Amino acid sequence: MHLILKGIVEAFHLLLSGDPFIYSIAWRSLQVSVPSILIALAIGVPVASLIAQRRFRGRRLVIALINTGMAWPPVVVGLLVALFLWRSGALGFLDWIYTLKGMIVAQVLIATPLVTGLTLAALQQLDPSFRLQILAMGATRRRLFFLLLREIRVPILAAAMAGFGRVIAEVGAATIVGGNIAGQTQVLTTAIVQYTNAGDFAGAIALGVILLLLAFATNFIVTTIQQRSVVATWA
Amino acid sequence: MSDTPIIEARGLVVARDGSDIVHIDRFAVQEGEVHVVLGPNGAGKSTLLRALDGLEPMSGTLLYGGRPVRSERDRRQLRRATAVVFQKPYLLATTVLGNVESGLRLRGVGRDEARRRALAALDLLGVDQLADRRRKGLSGGEAQRVSIARALAGDPEVLFLDEPMAALDPPTRRGLLADLERIVAERAITVVWVTHDKEEALQVADRVTFLAKGRILQEGTAAEVLNRPATDEVADYLGVDVWLSGSVVDDPDAGSRFVADDGSSLACAGAYTGPAFACVHPEDVALSLSEPAPGSVSDRNVLPTTVVAIRPKGRLRLVELDWGSQPLQALVTQAAADHLALEVGMPVCALIKAVAVHIVPRAAPTP
Repeated sequence: MHLILKGIVEAFHLLLSGDPFIYSIAWRSLQVSVPSILIALAIGVPVASLIAQRRFRGRRLVIALINTGMAWPPVVVGLLVALFLWRSGALGFLDWIYTLKGMIVAQVLIATPLVTGLTLAALQQLDPSFRLQILAMGATRRRLFFLLLREIRVPILAAAMAGFGRVIAEVGAATIVGGNIAGQTQVLTTAIVQYTNAGDFAGAIALGVILLLLAFATNFIVTTIQQRSVVATWA
Repeated sequence: MSDTPIIEARGLVVARDGSDIVHIDRFAVQEGEVHVVLGPNGAGKSTLLRALDGLEPMSGTLLYGGRPVRSERDRRQLRRATAVVFQKPYLLATTVLGNVESGLRLRGVGRDEARRRALAALDLLGVDQLADRRRKGLSGGEAQRVSIARALAGDPEVLFLDEPMAALDPPTRRGLLADLERIVAERAITVVWVTHDKEEALQVADRVTFLAKGRILQEGTAAEVLNRPATDEVADYLGVDVWLSGSVVDDPDAGSRFVADDGSSLACAGAYTGPAFACVHPEDVALSLSEPAPGSVSDRNVLPTTVVAIRPKGRLRLVELDWGSQPLQALVTQAAADHLALEVGMPVCALIKAVAVHIVPRAAPTP
């Protein structure tokens, strides 16, 4: 108990004193997570829109794969990405193993099924006649896409935040692909593991508090927006 | 005005999961007419409407102003020249004004022009004061008025209405129906109006197409369809409550006479002879306490009956009568019922004009 209390006190000292090393790790986490979620949105939203609007052979299989992908174990994703990015791997020429770029690739693979699946669910909940109404107004397919996105902007934001929460809290893939190199690829989660193993509870708790604050801020934003907006289609 | 229909479908088939939802040989709408598609729920009316606006995958030929609609580009041009109002208003996540402007902007109208026309359309529907409101706070009637304003703002060549009143309460519905009827008449807009409500159809239609199970059973003026149902299914839906089974024979005195299976008979009109159902609308049956003197009334059928039951039907009274072994019904006002002092068990004369006996050739077993 004494150990924990001591750790907490030291952690807040580190946080309040603006320890540059601690904050550089937090900043690196954001450098990986934010681009990852933006790329996941750029892929997932159009893919979900295509799946929602088109009927094609194997559509159910694709949806089942996306739903499965929402629960992919990050450590397995990390392993697969590492195999590809390894110097002798198919994408070894990129030289992305143990880099932030490599970590972003892994995080994109983790977040994209989540964003796609949640966006698809939101699109499928829209009344099909809503789409017909927009088409009946003379919209092109492109305008239809953007107008439908505007209708589901809150669920998309929720999907983005859920994806962000998943990747920023993820440790397995970050460790395997990034290598947890201090000052280079060490992020909040991997650093917490290392600090804990080394008995540096103050550092681990300080990083844990930052992680918790980020998770709380994310959820607070989503909840606030969800309470203020209602996706209604005159059901 | 040209004779070419503004919208025409030939051999139109919409299929889903291997079965035909809509299968019609020909459907045509002339410019300037209000063409009602009437029929029960699940008849394929809305599917037909969507197919006519290029919103539903279909086979067959669709012509707009005589020109075939084939490609996606043709369909988009068709949709930009027309407008659809669905049963639900489906407003976009923006202001009321933004919704009406969106309808115009998507049709390529410039920003300033769109604003001017959107405000004029909102004014036309009496909802200009809602311009800055968002959809969330609107009532169902207000939202539907906005949806209609959005459709009319683009001056559509054809206005498709898919049961626009169905989700509204009766007072809201009456107000909107009156306004819509006035606007359509003033602007001579061509309208395809889908409804399952025969009174709405009677009120607005120039022509009526009756659809059931995806097929057209009858097409004609509203009076033709409502007063002369072509099949027993149409008659049944339109609420002809009394069915007499029998056949029509030539009558040297009366022209035609319907002879019921039990031998009772009614003078009727028309050239058909053969097995038939005779349909008598309750509102076409007048009641009298005594038999009128010969020649004093124009009714060719004067039937001795007995009152079996008196039931309220809206503001009217439905009087069930026993005419030999045949049932008969009369719809009278409360004042008439009071004047005749109608009671169950009392004898009354039912008076029916020969032209009010609608003969439907018997094509199916007695329902």
